[in-house]
Amino acid sequence: MDMAPILHAEHLAKQVRSGDRQLTILSDLALSVFPGETVAILGQSGAGKSTLLGLLAGLDLPTGGELSMFGQSLAALDEDGRARLRAGRVGFVFQNFQLLPTLTALENVMLPLELSPRAGTEARAREWLTRVGLGERLDHLPKQLSGGEQQRVALARAFVTGAELVFADEPTGNLDPDTGERIIETLFSLNREAGTTLVLVTHDHALARRCDRCLRLDHGRLETLHLDEVSA
Amino acid sequence: MSLTALRLARFSARGLARDLRAADVRALFVALALAVAASTMIGFFLDRLDRGLERQASQLLGGDLVLEQGRPFDAELRQTLEEAGLVLSDQVDMVSMASLGDAFQPASVKVVDRRYPLYGGVHVDLGEGTEVVARGPAPGEAWLAPRLALLLEAEIGDRVRVGETELTVAGLVEREPDQSAGFGNFNPRLMMHMDDLAATELVQDGSRVEFELLAAGPPDIIDDLAPLLAQLRRDGVEVRDVHRDRPQLGNALERAERYLSLAGLAAVLLAGVAVAMATRRYVDRHLDTAALMRCFGATQRELIRVFSLQLLWLALAASAVGAVLGLAGQAGLLALLTAFLPMELPPPGALPLWLGVLTALAVLVGFAGPTLLRLKKVSALKVLRRELDPLPASAWLVVAMASAVFGGLLWLYSGDLGLSVGLLLGGLVMLVVLWGLGSLLLGGVLRLADRLPRRGGQDDLVQALRLGGAQLARRRTASLGQLLAFSVTFFAMAMIALVRGDLLTTWEAQLPEDTPNYFAINIQPHEREDFEATLGSAADARSALYPMVRGRITAINDLPPREAVPADARGDNTLRRELNLTWRETLPEGNRLVAGQWFDALEGAEPGGWLGQVAAEPAVTRVPISVEDGLAERFGLRLGDTLTFTIGSEEIVGELASLRNLDWDSFRPNFFVIFPPGVLERFGHSYITAFHLDAGETTTLRELVRAFPGVTLLNVDAILGQVRELLTQVTRAVELVLGFVLLAGVSVLYAALTASRPVRAHESGLLRVFGAGNRMLSRVQGAEFAILGLASGLMGALLAELATAAIYLAWFDLAPRLHGGLWLALPLGGALLIGAIGHLLSRDLRRQAPAASLGLLGET
Repeated sequence: MDMAPILHAEHLAKQVRSGDRQLTILSDLALSVFPGETVAILGQSGAGKSTLLGLLAGLDLPTGGELSMFGQSLAALDEDGRARLRAGRVGFVFQNFQLLPTLTALENVMLPLELSPRAGTEARAREWLTRVGLGERLDHLPKQLSGGEQQRVALARAFVTGAELVFADEPTGNLDPDTGERIIETLFSLNREAGTTLVLVTHDHALARRCDRCLRLDHGRLETLHLDEVSA
Repeated sequence: MSLTALRLARFSARGLARDLRAADVRALFVALALAVAASTMIGFFLDRLDRGLERQASQLLGGDLVLEQGRPFDAELRQTLEEAGLVLSDQVDMVSMASLGDAFQPASVKVVDRRYPLYGGVHVDLGEGTEVVARGPAPGEAWLAPRLALLLEAEIGDRVRVGETELTVAGLVEREPDQSAGFGNFNPRLMMHMDDLAATELVQDGSRVEFELLAAGPPDIIDDLAPLLAQLRRDGVEVRDVHRDRPQLGNALERAERYLSLAGLAAVLLAGVAVAMATRRYVDRHLDTAALMRCFGATQRELIRVFSLQLLWLALAASAVGAVLGLAGQAGLLALLTAFLPMELPPPGALPLWLGVLTALAVLVGFAGPTLLRLKKVSALKVLRRELDPLPASAWLVVAMASAVFGGLLWLYSGDLGLSVGLLLGGLVMLVVLWGLGSLLLGGVLRLADRLPRRGGQDDLVQALRLGGAQLARRRTASLGQLLAFSVTFFAMAMIALVRGDLLTTWEAQLPEDTPNYFAINIQPHEREDFEATLGSAADARSALYPMVRGRITAINDLPPREAVPADARGDNTLRRELNLTWRETLPEGNRLVAGQWFDALEGAEPGGWLGQVAAEPAVTRVPISVEDGLAERFGLRLGDTLTFTIGSEEIVGELASLRNLDWDSFRPNFFVIFPPGVLERFGHSYITAFHLDAGETTTLRELVRAFPGVTLLNVDAILGQVRELLTQVTRAVELVLGFVLLAGVSVLYAALTASRPVRAHESGLLRVFGAGNRMLSRVQGAEFAILGLASGLMGALLAELATAAIYLAWFDLAPRLHGGLWLALPLGGALLIGAIGHLLSRDLRRQAPAASLGLLGET
């Protein structure tokens, strides 16, 4: 690909102090993700997948190496600067949905839209909820929705801003296989329609196989897996 | 991302609208509205009362500024005052004989000009019933007090002689707007016009005439005249300025005003505690929102703006509701006090409203600010790692901020920096002590719970107490916070209730059923025994008979009085007029010695001591005297100073041996100066006494009037009734305010219990999972709340006892007392109240399936 990467990491490292010891979670990690790509990052529990996702999304800072998003070095930005960089351009899907309990489905989807100056907030949110099949459940609170429905609200919320880049952290982790399957369907269909770049962290191989590229995080480094290496 | 101001406002308002579903936001709203309601209600009322009293004071005084001296005022002074913008009116006061045919009667003559009265109206009967007119008598006319008309047997149209002229009786004057109360002026009123004064030829050199110059004008003009007024005071002119020399409010009303302010502050403090508790839950609940917003690109600044704005909208909405409540409340207070307030109060001003809104914002910033800042520190990473909550705001920072703001409010409302700092420091020390005490108590509860026998089934009460106690004590930090909040709540509620009770008791004791309703003056020494015998058993209470000798102060420490006293006391009435002096062996009832010693304890009081010397050579010997402390303070007198009195043609030198504090509201004869026996007896004197006669005792009254025609009997039932009515109404007002404080207290309980709901839901869910039945859960929760209430009640009682003692001494001038019942009522009441409210609020938790309860964590 000739175009510039939307995400680019070089010699990325993350160490944390645990008591007297220095724990290395990521070391000398390199990654480039290009616009429109779908990339899955696989790994065992505790391999540091969520830590990597946090770094790539600019939610946390590495202890070493270079990282840029949309061509902008994240090291040069403070926390507020990184937030501004994400605004309206980055979407998220979480394992535990992260819907606000006092907000209805519609209001949850409207939340990121209200943070960026754009017209027709509510109509847009309605449209996206209808696209994920929840057009009839707009006014329901999260606790009145099933797990799968909650994750669909979260999907609508991730795409509603027209994000260029969506991060998904174990999006099917809290769901049963059938529901998980439907969520994956929806996620990839939305992604296709919107032409979004998708970076997802998972240990669900079925989900990973649907991505353009699969990477495995092992001992703090990333290695490329061929699709046939990803077992069903 | 960047949020424009408008978008930010809209976004935050929308967020708040959604948030209204949450219990903590409702608790915040209620607490803030109550704070505003309490402060505006009391603010509106006191402001109106204050302005009303000022207007009434101007009326009583006759003008905003009154100058008085023994000779006419010169044209130059008049010009200065008029050029400054004041409206002037002249008045002359004197005592003169009025006569009609053979009847002669001394009258208190008031000569007024065409501008009289500057304020208010005269209640006068001009022949067609009483009417209120804004003028005095016309030239050639006289208005008589009904008593004078009766004594002279004068009717409207008759001609009365005053000095060298005759005037036509044109009206009977019932009430003057500028009537000064007091018993000094016993002669009935005759009012006439200034144009007739010269014809009376009463104003001669050396005649006892008071010239008054009354002025009306706005306060700023009078303030600008301060240097001139100070100079006039130094020149011996008595200057009465309504803004500086407010007529003394009755003790009862003054205490009631203080009580209202205190209660208002207590309500604000309680609302503050409720706000602090509700904010903790609010912030906990919004941590996820804040983290998500960080993810979606919100900056720290935007986060804090969004949440601050949300709370600002909430505070403004609560202020509006609170202000309406406050307005209604002050109307209620006014309705309760209406019969006592003779004047029309001015409409509510805007100032208390702003103060109310300011109070709400201050309470919000002070009690919620530091906790709110936590939202700013949320890391976006929390969306991936839930445990990444920012550290809670330091408890000390929260307390320090809240204290600073509350101290500021104390200062704002009391206007007394020393008192505010003192109360605040005292409060902080108490908080530290409570913190330690609370920790000890919780430790004790845990040990006690451990020792309870582990036996019985699920329904066992002991088991419930053991589990409930242990749960409470193990949740140490949260429980300690609640314990402190409830202690402060019970303390404030108890204190306001205690002070109310003690105020009422003091007021009741002040005016018992048999408070004297008659004064008898001018009892001659030879009539004394007969008078007492005639009064006999008909009077169920009477004061002693006090001899009265008239004397004038002619020197202080051998200097002319006007040179010896502070400049601003040079025009004091007491220096120009004769004082009523008395002698007495014992300290009169209702008097309290505040300095020095009573006569019997003085050196030389034994036979052959100073008493003998005084008898031998009274003019050169210093006689010990006792002086009222207020007078001594005005004149800058200390023990050992001397006062020279001229009585008749003799001089007597008194040396200050003691200072007395006396209760001017006691309806008993009171004296500025008391001599020891053996000094004044040789001067002409009469006696005064006060006694109580039941309304039905007309026989005794008639008998007294018949047998002692020279004795003047003054009936003070009307004044007494007014004072009693005042006390009843003030009591009702105090109770209304107490109700508000109790409401604020309940709002704290609601906020705190709401805040702890998720944790309790989680705990009861777990207990359910482990097999606890509904009954068991109910008992464990009930036990936990009851223990919390009991401990809070105990600590609240301790605090209330200490604080009331301090407040009585410092603020109400009452003797502190121990309140035994409090130590029983507060812990038991606390256990019942918290037990009941807590039990009720967690009823639906017990109805939920464990899964739902466990899922409830983090929700509303």
